[in-house]
Amino acid sequence: MCNGTVVNGSAVWDFCTSSAGQIDGRCCLQTDNTSGAVHITGLDVSYCNLIVVEDLSEASTALMIDLSFNPISNLSDLVFEGFSQLFYVILPSNLTCPGGNASWEKTEVKGEVRVCEGQINACNQTGHISWDCPQNSLCSPYGPGFFACSCVESFHGYKCLREGEFPIVEVFGILGGSTILVSLVLWVTQRRKAKAM
Amino acid sequence: MWPCHRDFLSQYTHHHLVAFLLTFFSYVLLHSSRKTFSNVKISISAQWTPSILNSTLPPYSPGETWEENCLFSDSQEATLFLGALDTIFLFSYAVGLYISGVIGDRLNLRYVLSFGLCGSAVVEFVFGTVTEWMAFYNVYFYCGLWVLNGLLQSAVWPCVVTVMGNWFGKSGRGFVFGLWSACASVGNILGAFLASSVLKYGYEYVFLVTSAVQFAGGVVVFFGLLSSPKEVGLRIDSETGLLPVERDSDSHRPLMSDEEEEEEEEEEERVCDAPPTPIGFLQAFCLPGVIPYSLAYACLKLVNYSFFFWLPFYLSSNFGWPEAQADRLSIWYDVGGIIGGTVQGLISDVLGKRAPVIALSLLMAMGALVGYSHSPNDQVVNAALLATTGFFIGGPSNMISSAISADLGRQDALQGSQEALATVTGIVDGTGSLGAAAGQYLVSLIESKLNWMCVFYFFVLMTGGSVVFIIPLLVGELRSMCRSRTLQTHQL
Repeated sequence: MCNGTVVNGSAVWDFCTSSAGQIDGRCCLQTDNTSGAVHITGLDVSYCNLIVVEDLSEASTALMIDLSFNPISNLSDLVFEGFSQLFYVILPSNLTCPGGNASWEKTEVKGEVRVCEGQINACNQTGHISWDCPQNSLCSPYGPGFFACSCVESFHGYKCLREGEFPIVEVFGILGGSTILVSLVLWVTQRRKAKAM
Repeated sequence: MWPCHRDFLSQYTHHHLVAFLLTFFSYVLLHSSRKTFSNVKISISAQWTPSILNSTLPPYSPGETWEENCLFSDSQEATLFLGALDTIFLFSYAVGLYISGVIGDRLNLRYVLSFGLCGSAVVEFVFGTVTEWMAFYNVYFYCGLWVLNGLLQSAVWPCVVTVMGNWFGKSGRGFVFGLWSACASVGNILGAFLASSVLKYGYEYVFLVTSAVQFAGGVVVFFGLLSSPKEVGLRIDSETGLLPVERDSDSHRPLMSDEEEEEEEEEEERVCDAPPTPIGFLQAFCLPGVIPYSLAYACLKLVNYSFFFWLPFYLSSNFGWPEAQADRLSIWYDVGGIIGGTVQGLISDVLGKRAPVIALSLLMAMGALVGYSHSPNDQVVNAALLATTGFFIGGPSNMISSAISADLGRQDALQGSQEALATVTGIVDGTGSLGAAAGQYLVSLIESKLNWMCVFYFFVLMTGGSVVFIIPLLVGELRSMCRSRTLQTHQL
């Protein structure tokens, strides 16, 4: 998206070094101990001369994103859909915090940048809109101002309609066994003496 | 006329029992697959539509779980399509019945029956399970599969009735067939049970279990069914129907001379050497009694199937009862039908005539329908009225589709020289299914344009139409009854 590397001494730099992450270009990477997968935990695209920001989905696991000092005219809230871990966003001061001020614990304008800190769980909001998830699903945060309805324990599938695992082996074992048995018994008692018609 | 209890049972061997049970359960499996399809309609329409919200709220995320499938934009469209699938199925089933009846009289019944069961099972598997596993939802694919399913399922009924007709002769036929025709209702109950226990895993598993069991049934039938007593060397004479009776008459005769024995043996060989030829479709159509009973059955099956399909919907929309309760209540109609078929079959056996019993029952049915339409909002009374209606409508319906078809296909006019049973059964049930298919559309039309009371009057009208078609046969049978009674009094 942008050349260069994380600016030395920026918020992302500090965050990355303190959380023992690796700097790779503009990203701060971290390896998950349990799965071994590599996630982006920080993204610094400040001073990049970006005019339009449309797709940041590769960095959806980021905890901190810096978009400051870019000539962006407006930023859609949907860019941050799915960024459930995001707790610190730095934007050019002309932009508002994604999801509005109600989605952040602390928002302030420091000179030329706007800082949004501490994403509020959208599921707890008791304002004029309440997020009701359909049957068999629970609300979970899904980015600033977003919520996802994920299925409850043991429910899965489209619209969380399906529950549990179908015991396919047992059912087909019993069915196959009894079919063979009944067929054999009937063939011996009935058809063995049948004449060709 | 009414065989002694001992004689009645002694004519039946274990072969009879197995033939009864195999044909019974073949049709049970078929009907249960139809019932499971009806019961999972809500889950299927939920699968085909995105989640519905007030327009002010944003759609649910993640989209894969809530919004992705949009085969139909809302559940009303999906319901319309599912109703259209029912009608398509009934039409292709009706067309298939005409064809399958003809085929059944020409080919080996066991092969046709197994092919129908297994083929239909495979189609159902593709329809419900494969499409879900591959996430392939396509309207034309569904329609095409369901047409194929109707054609394959239509092979079953003429074959099972023919096998039963081969094994069970004229005496006691009404009672045995009445008991046997409970298979449709038992299938409904089994289907409802299967659907309710497997549905929570996903509707695709309901289709999987149903089609697997049906396929297994086809395999068992292939290995275990004897389609006719001739296959094991037993003979059923269509008039007396009993080998033991012949033995009795032998024992009453004086010791036979050698000449007489030889003559008898030659006669038997001649009869066995000439296998019956299958009847032509038009010839079967023109057999006495086929057309009136077919038309009567069309009217009757319309009423019967409309009850089967629409009753839960009527109960929940008219009285506001929840769907599970309405489903359970509709079982009473089936129970009434089972009892009606058996009892009325028995009575018609004792009398020796079927048309008077049917006509009387249908007249009572018209009254029962009117009574049911005015049922109070009380589940017990409603269930009782439902069972009564089922008794008076289901009884004749079961009789016409089974015992009477067997009568028509084995009547004197054929003189044992023609195989007509499957063809006749196909014609009677095919006409009936056309009536049922038309009824599906008409009931929804009348209900949406007028109201439920008019639907019930429509049912009464159809039942009356049934009686009208039977009148020529009724007159003929009453006349022969009176004639035989005057003959008896003259003899005395």
